[in-house]
Amino acid sequence: MDFDFSSLFAFLLFGVTIGVVYGIVALGISLIYSGLDIVHFAHGEIYMFGAFFGLVFSHTMGFPYPVALLLAMVCAAVLGMGIERVFYRRLTKGGGGYTVAGMGMIICGFGMSIVLMNIAFLIWGAAAEPFPVDLGMPFQLGDITLPKSYALTAVVAVLLMAALHYFLKKTKLGLAVRAVAANKDIAYLMGINVPMMISLIFGLACGIAAAAGVLIGPMQSVQVEMGYLMLLKAFAAAVVGGFGSLPGAIAGGIVVGIAENLGAAYISPNHKDIYAFLLLILVLMIKPSGLFGIVARVKA
Amino acid sequence: MLKVSGLSTGYGKLQILRGIDLNVAEGGIVTLLGGNGTGKSTFLKALSGLLPVWEGSIEFDGQKIQNLPPHEIVRCGLTQVTQGKDAYPAMTVEENLKLGAYVRKDKIAIAEDLERVYSFFPRLLERRTQLAATLSGGEVQMLVIGRGLMARPKLLMLDEPSAALAPKIIMDIFATINRIRKSGVSILMVEQNVRMALLLAEYGYIIRDGVILIKGDAKDLINDPNVKKSFLGGTVANSTHEIKA
Ligand SMILES: Nc1ncnc2c1ncn2[C@@H]1O[C@H](COP(=O)(O)OP(=O)(O)OP(=O)(O)O)[C@@H](O)[C@H]1O
Ligand SMILES: [Mg+2]
Repeated sequence: MDFDFSSLFAFLLFGVTIGVVYGIVALGISLIYSGLDIVHFAHGEIYMFGAFFGLVFSHTMGFPYPVALLLAMVCAAVLGMGIERVFYRRLTKGGGGYTVAGMGMIICGFGMSIVLMNIAFLIWGAAAEPFPVDLGMPFQLGDITLPKSYALTAVVAVLLMAALHYFLKKTKLGLAVRAVAANKDIAYLMGINVPMMISLIFGLACGIAAAAGVLIGPMQSVQVEMGYLMLLKAFAAAVVGGFGSLPGAIAGGIVVGIAENLGAAYISPNHKDIYAFLLLILVLMIKPSGLFGIVARVKA
Repeated sequence: MLKVSGLSTGYGKLQILRGIDLNVAEGGIVTLLGGNGTGKSTFLKALSGLLPVWEGSIEFDGQKIQNLPPHEIVRCGLTQVTQGKDAYPAMTVEENLKLGAYVRKDKIAIAEDLERVYSFFPRLLERRTQLAATLSGGEVQMLVIGRGLMARPKLLMLDEPSAALAPKIIMDIFATINRIRKSGVSILMVEQNVRMALLLAEYGYIIRDGVILIKGDAKDLINDPNVKKSFLGGTVANSTHEIKA
């Protein structure tokens, strides 16, 4: 029996595409983690809101898909910054200054996740909404048919990563964000408005999550409960790549995406969502600092 | 230039400083001396706004700055170089220095100041693209002092710049601090190297258990037996300089 290389290639391709989406959500989670030392458990819901924002802008209001994508990112960024300002900041202030508030922060994140899910439920109901986007004919790569939405997803995700990288490494504001992530007291002494930077970090992370939502929407559908699975997979991606590391988040996302697609193809398609967590557990057993071992240089 | 009156502060409910009065005149070096855990760093943290001021007032350059947020205090021209040699290890030497100039917009003057810092510390120039993590202890101390200068402060506060350094490096650092003063920056220097600090400074304060025990002209303090005693923990009897200034 001949091994079908072209379908293997297709699975890999789809795996990478979905993987970069996990990667950019993980990027946001890592960004918030490196900025605030907290795992933002409501991040999946921000992603879900992003998807609904995209749906509203493109279908209800009739904006073109790319415009809807941008608007959804902006709205989610504002939403995230609002949540940080109104809720999280009170907790971080508890310790006097911007220090970790530990458990309280985690519980607040979980609570926020439930609140956001119920708000979405009140607005949009529980049914899965289709998010059809007509991007034209799929690409034909040899035997493989690649829907345009996949190609677009990969391109946008890569652009977002590149933009974020440029921002963090090459701009003065990006330097300040890295400074805040590495040491808040020293950042203050540099004259950096630390609370404002943290707000910015939240905005960026939430905007990116919304982009993921709008990109995934057309491939699946949009529904209130889509957030938690994304959170868990992005979390797996972040851990696999080395928690808090930005390049690790992307690499981890791709690894998770590939594992999931290969697992579904060659082991069993009925348990597609399990593979990410099997991988997570394996990585934690064998190399808890993450596959890419960049964890030592997490900060800044 | 800096006038601190009756400053009290602490951590949570734990009071550390009990009514500190301290002045720094323009263009000079004032040193604050004291043993471990006497509250020197706590004092600087309160001045920088990293700790809330419980009581008292801080006037800098004619403006009340107590309880302003730290980033605004830096904008007033008051910069602190902390004790921990806290460079950003994952950033390059030059990125660290550029962060020091974060509050400034004058690109040309920033470039000039960068040159000035490199002229103070030529070793930093050789290592400008290296990560700060790869520097030696002495080089990191140079880096954080240079980074403090990049803000172009009116008053630079240095927290134990000579701590944990070799004698040769300590001499270099103190010589540079003197050059910095001559370039027109006032300095408030926290030290435990009593003799060196008093040789450099015009005026000194000795702190113990959160209160100022002795103060006076540096040249008088240097020969005052009570200064030594205050470090060893003995009782300090009627110091000749205590109330004078
Ligand atoms: N974050 C903190 N929380 C609680 N107590 C603190 C904290 N930082 C310092 N202290 C306490 O405050 C007191 C004064 O500390 P401070 O750091 O000001 O001393 P110092 O004079 O700078 O000493 P050293 O010369 O060792 O640096 C010490 O008893 C210390 O234990
Ligand atoms: Mg100290």
